[in-house]
Amino acid sequence: MKSEHQIIKAVYAAKENIHKADELIRDYIPFIRSEASKCIQKLCTEQDDEFSIAMIAFHEAVMGYERTRGTFLSYAAMLIRSRIIDFQRKENRHQGNISLYTETGEDDHTLMDELADDRDQFDESANLEAVKQEIEELSSVMADFGVSFSDVADNSPKQERTMEACASTIRYAAENKYLLDELLRTKKLPMAQLVLGSGAERKTLERHRKYILAMLLIQTNGYEIIRGHLRHVLKRKGGSLR
Amino acid sequence: MKYIVMECHLSYAVVLNEEGCFLKVANRHYEVGQTVTDIIEMQVPPSVSQKKKTNKWVYSLVAMVACLILMVTSMFQMGQMTYASVYMTINPEVRIDVNRNDVVVKLDGINSDGDDLIAGYEYKKKDLDLVMDELVARAIDMGYLYEGGQISLVLDADSDEWVNIHSDTLATQLNEHLNEKLSVTIEVTDMKEQGNKVVLPVTPKEGDYGESDYEDTNKATAPPASPQPAESDYGDSSYDDGQTDYDESDDMDDSQSDYKTEDSQSDYEDFVTGQSDYGSDYIDNDDSQSDYGEDEKSDYDDYSDYDDD
Repeated sequence: MKSEHQIIKAVYAAKENIHKADELIRDYIPFIRSEASKCIQKLCTEQDDEFSIAMIAFHEAVMGYERTRGTFLSYAAMLIRSRIIDFQRKENRHQGNISLYTETGEDDHTLMDELADDRDQFDESANLEAVKQEIEELSSVMADFGVSFSDVADNSPKQERTMEACASTIRYAAENKYLLDELLRTKKLPMAQLVLGSGAERKTLERHRKYILAMLLIQTNGYEIIRGHLRHVLKRKGGSLR
Repeated sequence: MKYIVMECHLSYAVVLNEEGCFLKVANRHYEVGQTVTDIIEMQVPPSVSQKKKTNKWVYSLVAMVACLILMVTSMFQMGQMTYASVYMTINPEVRIDVNRNDVVVKLDGINSDGDDLIAGYEYKKKDLDLVMDELVARAIDMGYLYEGGQISLVLDADSDEWVNIHSDTLATQLNEHLNEKLSVTIEVTDMKEQGNKVVLPVTPKEGDYGESDYEDTNKATAPPASPQPAESDYGDSSYDDGQTDYDESDDMDDSQSDYKTEDSQSDYEDFVTGQSDYGSDYIDNDDSQSDYGEDEKSDYDDYSDYDDD
């Protein structure tokens, strides 16, 4: 009873604090693994996809747990099981296809190696390094604003209309570079001007403040690759608007 | 759809899709900067939100209010509901329906004279006693009730308690009302136990005697009541159920015939006089049983009459 109380307390603390959530999950890795193993009916190693899924399911359980939902561990176990079943169903759809990593029978070669590789491995890894650097830099700038990627992910718009409103705001800012400069200088979102310029509703923007901040920071200098990843979408939407 | 992995955590990774959406996904051994195509998004189960909780409150509140309204209205209806009826027969026969508080809710003439009697009479929100007094007064005025006449009251209620209480009080009350005017016979009968008939001969001129008579009658009410269940028991044991039913119908006819014939009245007077020695009660009972036989005979006659019809 007492330990139960403790875990519920820990879960509620983890909801608020991401580090505590990490800690809680780390503590319960054996539990997660055992639940995943039960579900796939073989030993689950940390390399298995099922393990990753069990981990995120546990995280979901932490975030979604409420006292009305019964014992935390049984709730988490249920969630892990259902997520793994979902995943297995999804995988079963590809059952007819063979994996790129199936061995062709010659030496250690896999199908992947046999296929003509149009990508340059070295270029790729250099690219990866560059992306990594950009992201790290962005992350540090965002830390100055007191925002992490996790926050942004929680703050991302989900609805299409909201996304459109945010995108139009971001486009407006990207076209008016002085707004971005002002953002960097004052460390504040020039919300009034954004509302005025984009025509989006202030309430909508306020609700996704962190998301807009992250996206505006990406529009500032130095994040070419990330912008490249996003660019054609922003442009296409801009085109469709005009 | 391509996703760039932005941030890696123990249990999840944050990725950025091409539409500029940051997502939390299962961390399948990703590293920051990696481009992935197949993700498993995190789906936090929607919390049982405050809004929903208040909704639940609202539902229960609405249900409570509905129940309350239902209760109040049903109570109000109950005020209008007939709880008991009094059939008052002078010659005009009327039915007086009362609610739980003895307030008259309906007045019905059973025969045409009864209709005449209550025609134009306002009974609403009056007590049973008052209505009966006024109806009797009207009957006197209209010439239905005269010196030496008879009023018979038949009480019909679900609760025996009500009948027990009112069989005494109604007669007393009516007697008091009539004390100065007329001397009439008041007969109080319970609808269920027709055998339990009490005839109150009233001699208002000699007040003292009348009162003592009262007590006598009260006593007289008791003794027949005690043999009565015995009789019904007897009926249960000896007769079949169907026959007891039959008995009841007999009783109905019995009473009706009693109302009309003077003989029964004289019988009862006998009863009252012979009441001084209780031992004779049982004999009386025996008599009544023998009476039953006669009644049945007469009933058969009735039936044959019906057949003729």
